[in-house]
Amino acid sequence: MDGTQSSNNSETDIWSEAGTTRVPFQVYQDAEIYAQELEKIFYGSSWNYVGLECEVPNSGDFRRNFIGEREVLMIRKDDGALSVVENRCAHRGAQLCQTLSGNAGSAIMCPYHQWTYTLDGELTGMPFKRGINGKGGLNPDFDMKAHGLVALRVESLNGVVFASFDHDVPTLKEYLGPDMVKYFTRIFNGRGLRVVGYERQVIDCNWKLQMENLKDPYHAGILHLFLISFGLFRLDQESKCLVDDSKGHSVLMTNKGTEEGKEDTGGVKIAAPDFALTDHDLIQPRLEFGDNTTLSIQTLFPSIIIQAQCNTLATRQVIPKGPGSHELVWTFFGFKDDDDEMKNLRLRQANLMGSAGYVTLDDAEALEFSQVGLSGSSAGDAAVLEIGGTDCESNDHLVTESLIRGFYMKYRDIMGHGKAGA
Amino acid sequence: MDQSEISQPVTDDVVLRRIERLQLNYISSIDEGPLDNWPHFFTDKCLYTVVSRDNFDRGMELGVMRFESVGMLIDRATATQHAAVFAPRIIRHLLGPTLVDDTGEGYRSRCNVAIYQTSPDGDTMLLMTAIYNDLIVEQDGVLKFKEKRVIYDTHRIPDSIVYPL
Repeated sequence: MDGTQSSNNSETDIWSEAGTTRVPFQVYQDAEIYAQELEKIFYGSSWNYVGLECEVPNSGDFRRNFIGEREVLMIRKDDGALSVVENRCAHRGAQLCQTLSGNAGSAIMCPYHQWTYTLDGELTGMPFKRGINGKGGLNPDFDMKAHGLVALRVESLNGVVFASFDHDVPTLKEYLGPDMVKYFTRIFNGRGLRVVGYERQVIDCNWKLQMENLKDPYHAGILHLFLISFGLFRLDQESKCLVDDSKGHSVLMTNKGTEEGKEDTGGVKIAAPDFALTDHDLIQPRLEFGDNTTLSIQTLFPSIIIQAQCNTLATRQVIPKGPGSHELVWTFFGFKDDDDEMKNLRLRQANLMGSAGYVTLDDAEALEFSQVGLSGSSAGDAAVLEIGGTDCESNDHLVTESLIRGFYMKYRDIMGHGKAGA
Repeated sequence: MDQSEISQPVTDDVVLRRIERLQLNYISSIDEGPLDNWPHFFTDKCLYTVVSRDNFDRGMELGVMRFESVGMLIDRATATQHAAVFAPRIIRHLLGPTLVDDTGEGYRSRCNVAIYQTSPDGDTMLLMTAIYNDLIVEQDGVLKFKEKRVIYDTHRIPDSIVYPL
């Protein structure tokens, strides 16, 4: 792959010879590395999830979101197209919209001095532009065109909207690559989408640990006793772990087994309790994507996860909040043509996921254990990622950390942290 | 929750005290345990849902928990105690005064609630503020929740929600 030149300065020379099988704990807590991640990854040549088109159906509708720590507005324009602009007035920097969503009408107006912008972000006017009685106001040669909102490049794929601060970034499809587009459009297959509801939680660990967790099938068959108890996920199930050519994106897929015999765990007892579940609907998926896959988790670099566990579908957006914290925004969705039974299933199976989910509450807890555990570590201390070998390739089994190693290969390239040899 | 519900304010002190006692016993099953008692504050067919005010105001039913029978509540109580991995914590509910109306179908009870959480290291934080919006019915001489809707304001949840609310 194309690597940036290795910068051998001491700040970035933190990776050992062991490539991406060792991830230095500094990358989860160092403020300078974090600042560079925002600039090089989030504000650089990446496509970032900003929402679903169905969240802004009408002209003037907006939804507020974050890319890195910068606030953006996804807006439906008069002509039906979408714009994404930074939620910051070009005058004095005030936040333009405060609510999570709403309708801006035909123009965006800053509440502070009422500077007004088109839905594309072009500055159109402000009170007392020419002063009063010829006194005060703006100089006549003030260039309105040069003082619009920061407008991002926008692309949408089957109703899912991405934006980039870099106007020269490759197209979204090129960025994702054909394999990732294939799995993305397995879920987002062009059917009209509807939002089922939102959940938001703040988890006190570095944003990358959240991404790693969704690239780590090894933990899922061990930590999540609920999944194991009911056969929803076991490491011996028919499965795929796919990494794209860039190594930054990946998909995990498994098929729920029919029998619940003993699993070969290599002699280690998985302490899953044995109890019957009253609500069988919770673990009985209705297959809806034309295959037998009952769990798929797609992670797209840098920070969006697309989950289909049974019939609970969600985007999980990871928003960094400093080196030691992130916000996780869950947008549970379904399809406009869902029948009543499916609508009900999506609500009930949401018990598996989210901030109180049978499965994911374990994740939020374990991720905080990680951040607490690694804080205060010494220079040179690093995570060990050798499950499944040392490569970053696709697999037909789940006992592997190759997806995480792949993530750091891409990460190191973008960050200029030397070239990651696999 | 039906806005067209015809209701009369309940002024009978005996009824009000019974409902207050039900709410206090309910939160005690969570704060003090045993959690196995928690499902039995509900009628067999019931609705227990924990929904953010953000979703509620948008007309979205999605909850962080949604259970429709005592069996589903028992699943949650069992899974929480035996099939979940989390740091130990103490939960403490503080209830405000309760407003009760008689709807004919049952008692509609509303009260504010603040829920605090204390970590193993001894730090206490506010987990959420919420309102309980409940429908309470009498069954064999015992008051039970036919509906309990926890509508919470704090829709940016700190970490995770482990115990029922």
